[in-house]
Amino acid sequence: MRAAVKQQGKLSFGWLVLLFVLPVAVGFVALGIGRIWITPSDIFASLVTKLSGGEAVSAQNDMVLWNIRLPRILLDMLVGAGLSGAGCAYQSLFANPLATPDTLGVASGASFGAALGILMGMSLLGIQGTALVFGGAAVLLTWLAGAGKGRGLNTIVLSGIMIGSLFSALVSLVKYTADTESELPAITYWLMGSLDSANFGSLKLGAPPILIGLILLLALRWRLNLLPLSEDEARSSGVNVRALRVVVIICATMMTASCVSMCGQVGWVGLLVPHICRMKFGNNHLSLMPASISLGAVFMILVDTLARSVTAAEIPVSILTAIIGAPFFIILMRRSGGWSL
Amino acid sequence: MKIAVENGCFGYKKGEQLLQNVSLEATDGELVAILGPNGAGKTTMLRCMMGFLKWKDGRSSIDGKDIRNIPPRELWRTIAYVPQAKNASAAYTAGEMVLLGRSSRIGIFSQPKQEDVEKADEVMERLGILHLKEKKCSEISGGELQMVLIARALASQPRILVLDEPESNLDFKNQLIVLETLSRLASEGMICLFNTHYPAHALQRAGKSFLLCKDGSSIFGPTREVVTEANIRRAFGVRAVIGDVETPENILRSVLPVEIVPEGWKENESAADGSIRRIASITILTKDYGMAGKINEILHRYSELVIGRMGMPYKKAGVFFISVALDGTESEIQALGDALGLLPGVSVKTVFAKEEKGTEIHEQPRTD
Repeated sequence: MRAAVKQQGKLSFGWLVLLFVLPVAVGFVALGIGRIWITPSDIFASLVTKLSGGEAVSAQNDMVLWNIRLPRILLDMLVGAGLSGAGCAYQSLFANPLATPDTLGVASGASFGAALGILMGMSLLGIQGTALVFGGAAVLLTWLAGAGKGRGLNTIVLSGIMIGSLFSALVSLVKYTADTESELPAITYWLMGSLDSANFGSLKLGAPPILIGLILLLALRWRLNLLPLSEDEARSSGVNVRALRVVVIICATMMTASCVSMCGQVGWVGLLVPHICRMKFGNNHLSLMPASISLGAVFMILVDTLARSVTAAEIPVSILTAIIGAPFFIILMRRSGGWSL
Repeated sequence: MKIAVENGCFGYKKGEQLLQNVSLEATDGELVAILGPNGAGKTTMLRCMMGFLKWKDGRSSIDGKDIRNIPPRELWRTIAYVPQAKNASAAYTAGEMVLLGRSSRIGIFSQPKQEDVEKADEVMERLGILHLKEKKCSEISGGELQMVLIARALASQPRILVLDEPESNLDFKNQLIVLETLSRLASEGMICLFNTHYPAHALQRAGKSFLLCKDGSSIFGPTREVVTEANIRRAFGVRAVIGDVETPENILRSVLPVEIVPEGWKENESAADGSIRRIASITILTKDYGMAGKINEILHRYSELVIGRMGMPYKKAGVFFISVALDGTESEIQALGDALGLLPGVSVKTVFAKEEKGTEIHEQPRTD
């Protein structure tokens, strides 16, 4: 009898396995899709020879698979998981269904950093670095402007909007001064979001902040349930809610700034995927957070694979996230009868 | 266990004194009502008491230990707080909400264990809301939500339960469910402190009451001494009648607001304090001869006050006149009048003799 008491919101074993396997499986298939089609069995054969150190069956396939597509798909997974996890955390933190990873201005700040880097003719890694720094700086500014004793979280959200628009204006300023022949297109294209610059070099710098953020948010996932509660309720749980909030903001900032620094502004993922997960898994972060992270990765792989393989020229990924995401989201919302946060 | 507030002072702005030298204490099994009009600072009082707001002066303590020196996790295993239901977040199912109450007993990077889940279920079962477990908090009634919030508080196995207006915005039945729950918890040894707008709930349930006035002063003591007509008039600015209502089972004290007391009434009325001795007469008229017995019974209860009485039947009109001359404290005389007035089919009028002396205003004693 006792064992019959089941905890609500806990992922069933089947879902747990699915959430682990799905991104890997989708990523594996996506490895074979592109201008050069490679069947899963060829991918597998190539993987085996690579691991066993044998002679490559096809040098060209190996090159495409492991040097071009693998880092890109890893980046897809990281960016999708990171943005979706950060969005989910922010929606709960601010008890606001419209919160996105950019709510505190991190993406605008990072965009400005990147635009500045491009303007100054920095290397790709240099651009990534400035983006990270300015993303962090934007959130710090937001925090300094909005946080204070007795002020609610809404003040922080408002200052986030202010700081975000400030940095957007600065981006426009950089664009205005940029060389229209070379720099302006580069900045514009970068801002639309693209994952084609993915390589192991940029992953080495960009992956750790995302991974650390993800692991922390996953470890804290049950605690995150306290975030949407009112101030007094949350404090009366005996948990240091302020510290929890700061940790969540730092995690989300690291993750988002790192994503933006690697692939520009990829909109929508951080808003769409967590909400899709809320419809299916409810608001309990015990299952919501893992689901958001896993499905964010899957969604991003799918969208980016489309972006790079549908037409000869690559479509900027944030255009596709909206074109695919918005109708999908609306259909789900109408079917599930909406949700509440 | 004992929770106490010692000479607490608080104001939101500099120079403003919302709470002046408030003190109260409660020990195991006591149900304490915190009463006061809107805006007097009842919620502020609770928030200061639990440490959400810092006292400007004075302190809150548990077993003599300042609560600021108790680590939060330990403090919130001892105290549990039930916020007003209207402020509650509605995103979770009732079961998830109740389980959140276990937070203070679960490690920071851990998830609830089987034991925690069972404890939460057990509390819900005890409060009779286990059937709500799978329902969303946004889809249950206000009364049910209040019970869910109480269950969440109890899930942490506290010794002290603090509730902010648990029965406001509820219908009669749900009010009774909540109040019954509080009475039961107190009888099991829990210390319960609750804010309420209703003096009647204090009279019917709470052993001790804390009455907060708009001017920041307060009165604390046994409910019967605190919730009096004079004190209600002072705190709420309302003339109210306190009387007993007889049910087949027992006699309930009840408070009925009658009229708003105009501003500045204190200056020209000597009735500020119920403990002054007055001479009065009560005239009673009834057409129901059967009530005569009841009236006699009540008069007998107050026989110490009665210095003379007269009864006269007027058979032609079927009316029975009774007139009583009284010497006693004002509150006693008023209580007698109220008791008589609540009898069905009985008209009662109390007339006090005019006082020769100048008016005397009795303030509640303050500790300096």
